[in-house]
Amino acid sequence: MSISRREFIAGLVAAPALVGLTNKAPRPIAGGFVDDAMGVGHSLRDGRAVPHPRDRRRVHVAVVGGGIAGLSTAWELDRRGARNFVVLELAAQAGGNARSGENDVSAYPWAAHYVPVPGPRATLVRELFVELGLLRDGEWDERSLCFSPQERLFMHGEWHAGLEPEFAMSLGDRAEFRRFADVVAAQRATGQFTIPSALGVSRASALDRLSMDAWLREQGFTSPRLWWYVDYACRDDYGASLRQTSAWAGIHYFAAREPDERGPLTWPDGNGWITKRLLAKLGGYVKTNAPVSRVRREGSRWRLTSARAEYDADIVIWAAPAFVAPYVVDELRAERRRTGFVYSPWLTANITLERWPAERGSQPAWDNVIYDSPGLGYVVATHQSLRTFEPRTVWTYYHAFADLTPELARQELVRRDWSYWRDRILDDLARVHADIRDCVSRVDVLRL
Amino acid sequence: MNVALFLSVLAIAACGLIYELVASALASYLLGDSVLQFSTVIGTYLFAMGVGSWLSRYLTRGLVARFIGIELMVGVIGGFSSTLLFLAFAYTGAFRLVLYALVVVIGVLVGLEIPLLMRILRDRYAFKEVVSNVLTFDYLGALAASLAFPIVLVPKLGLVRSAILFGIVNAVIALWSTFLFAELLGTRRALRAACVAVLTILTVGMTQAKAITTLAEDNIYSDDVIFSRDTRYQHIVLTAWKDDLRLFLNSHLQFSSRDEYRYHEALVHPGLAALPGARRVLVLGGGDGLAVREILRYPSIESVTLVDLDPEMTRLFATHPLLTKLNGGSLTSPKVRVVNADAFVWLDQNTEMFDFAVVDFPDPNNYAVGKLYTTAFYRALERHVSRGGLFVVQSTSPLFARQSFWSIVETLKRARLKTYPYHVYVPSFGEWGFTLAAGADAPPYAPPGTVPPGLRFLAGPDVAQLFTFPRDMQAVAVEPNRLNDQVLVRYYEKEFDAINR
Repeated sequence: MSISRREFIAGLVAAPALVGLTNKAPRPIAGGFVDDAMGVGHSLRDGRAVPHPRDRRRVHVAVVGGGIAGLSTAWELDRRGARNFVVLELAAQAGGNARSGENDVSAYPWAAHYVPVPGPRATLVRELFVELGLLRDGEWDERSLCFSPQERLFMHGEWHAGLEPEFAMSLGDRAEFRRFADVVAAQRATGQFTIPSALGVSRASALDRLSMDAWLREQGFTSPRLWWYVDYACRDDYGASLRQTSAWAGIHYFAAREPDERGPLTWPDGNGWITKRLLAKLGGYVKTNAPVSRVRREGSRWRLTSARAEYDADIVIWAAPAFVAPYVVDELRAERRRTGFVYSPWLTANITLERWPAERGSQPAWDNVIYDSPGLGYVVATHQSLRTFEPRTVWTYYHAFADLTPELARQELVRRDWSYWRDRILDDLARVHADIRDCVSRVDVLRL
Repeated sequence: MNVALFLSVLAIAACGLIYELVASALASYLLGDSVLQFSTVIGTYLFAMGVGSWLSRYLTRGLVARFIGIELMVGVIGGFSSTLLFLAFAYTGAFRLVLYALVVVIGVLVGLEIPLLMRILRDRYAFKEVVSNVLTFDYLGALAASLAFPIVLVPKLGLVRSAILFGIVNAVIALWSTFLFAELLGTRRALRAACVAVLTILTVGMTQAKAITTLAEDNIYSDDVIFSRDTRYQHIVLTAWKDDLRLFLNSHLQFSSRDEYRYHEALVHPGLAALPGARRVLVLGGGDGLAVREILRYPSIESVTLVDLDPEMTRLFATHPLLTKLNGGSLTSPKVRVVNADAFVWLDQNTEMFDFAVVDFPDPNNYAVGKLYTTAFYRALERHVSRGGLFVVQSTSPLFARQSFWSIVETLKRARLKTYPYHVYVPSFGEWGFTLAAGADAPPYAPPGTVPPGLRFLAGPDVAQLFTFPRDMQAVAVEPNRLNDQVLVRYYEKEFDAINR
């Protein structure tokens, strides 16, 4: 009996089919980029003409930016009895980083998705939260605090409860984590690290001139696990690597939180929950699709040119990202070339799952982080559900470009198409959920 | 020399060793003492092979046809050896007899193979070459089989299918030999037909292996599985042994019909008998209808609302004759309304009021169920209980899970409720605990002096005794269970790990 090479190869191809290993056609996955107002933002930066408005209005206060800062400003103005003011938002939907979306499975956040339980010094936030019914008689609303289990970490092939990489830790690692906690406690005791940060010590700190990685080295920390943990914190909070983050900011992440907080506060739609409630009350003051293209002195007043109208205001409150101001405010033109803060771009994706994927180890948590992954992990939108069983879910996947400079990262974000990001995200998740592609029906991507 | 020919020697050797390993492994699984089992099975097998080799001298004519016949016999007997052994263990008292008889038969047949093959090949090749090659491949096959068995076969196929797979290998070699030695055979058609028949039987066995093991396992685990289904929410298994009916949800025992009356009488009557004015009752969980059976003993009760997540569970307990006999057909009573919903969400979305509520959820062994044992949940439930009403919570064991039990009590207290914990002995569970809860402004609870007629366990004067805790079950300092800090799940895991270890 002899088999020709052709027959042999044909057999090889046919063999898997015989034992039922036929390659199924992959499940179609829908989705795309969501409107990220990138075009409007770039035209502001480039000074391109924005339609010239005919209306002219007179207001006492003009707030530029309808994100959480602009809406909180409106809340405070309204509380103080002001009525003659306007909030100008560039995008079609107010909320900025605290905006959210919703589909037939769940509401979900597009960016900011929690608020640490505000300490006693964050008086304004606490007042707002009392008004929203989150704080009653000194007790936080249990349904808005993040449910157990809060966090888990994937390492060595399975999920482990908690975010600190405690699994199979050496004695040396353990000692460093303890020492790190002591150092953080000592820094907290200095009183510089507060929320709101304005209450902390205002003079420039030596920690401002040091990067977080230099500080870690200076303190003699060498454990790779501790380095990963601190690096993750910087990527998660600032979108920046240890080298790009100042030691002051890096320590702030740990030292500014309440030491025994049982939180954070969170909702299926993330901080969109707050945005919706602020808008329900203050929506009348907010103008959307109203990018402000120019702000200049006009006598004793300020003149704002927006797509809808020109406003003459006694006071302008800038509640949009600070790096945009020099491109819009005539009086700040000189700041354009000055290197100050760099803003890192982000990528978030909302992933709709028709069923929960396979996994190993501890139960699904709210925040699910993969050790040694370039991504920041995913947050489960249905985690705050009161049901014992959720057949479908939405995950919000976060990615910060800490490995690239912000300029390169922005180019990358613009250059790549949706299918590239979909595959990158699903590849990352497939490391921990092998059958993720069989579960996902949509991947919607937002470039921030 | 023809390499393919010697590869078949390798395959035959592998088959022989696999049957030996299957028998040894099965014997140690089922009888324990693996050193004894491996050593006696291997010894008997090698001895039987020696007997086979010696017997080969009496086979003189038609060697090839004999060889093929032996291959087929080894294929069938060896292939089904583990199936036979499983069934023998499950259904007969003579497992050891069957084991050693099988080992001897297979050993004799395998012992015949190599001598016969060497004699067949003697005329084709030089004798020294035959001996050297046959024995080389024989030992190589043994190595391959001994490595494949623990690494690939047992984990991927299991013992039953591994044996059958190698039975198929024997039969394939038999079939192939009818072609290989065609010139030495007279009638080939009958032999080939026999080969095909054996292959067919073994292939069918391969596909039915799961049914065979299930059949055997049902018998090994003493009780008959009378119902088993994976619903969307859980794995429901019902077993019966004589008059004992048992329900398992996700492998956790929910009740045994022999003593469930103790549990359900204690769950319902201390609370409900103390509320003579009660008309409307809510049951959360408890899709088995056994708590409802107890509630319906009160003629004054006008309506019972049962909220259970799983429609398959309530359907099963409303229709299965053995189960409706047990719950007295409670789920089909005109007073009873069954709602299939998630309890927490149902409480949030409804405004109905009840005089008494029974909370009978599975134990808090994961964070999903743990939500139903939180301060937030009990506050939501309290809004549905009328003034002066009560509710009772199944609270795990105050003996085996002392912290868990008292954590549930503490959780109810933190929800600003008055609590009255009590306990009862249920043989199939051990000591089991419950907590009665009442609104902060309700009058103090007093145990009822009378209970409905017809109970098997509780008598009126005994109820008050349930509320005293002996020293080893008394309250310990624990934290309450909250949605954002589910300590209860951690207490429960820790306490039951300690027992199961």
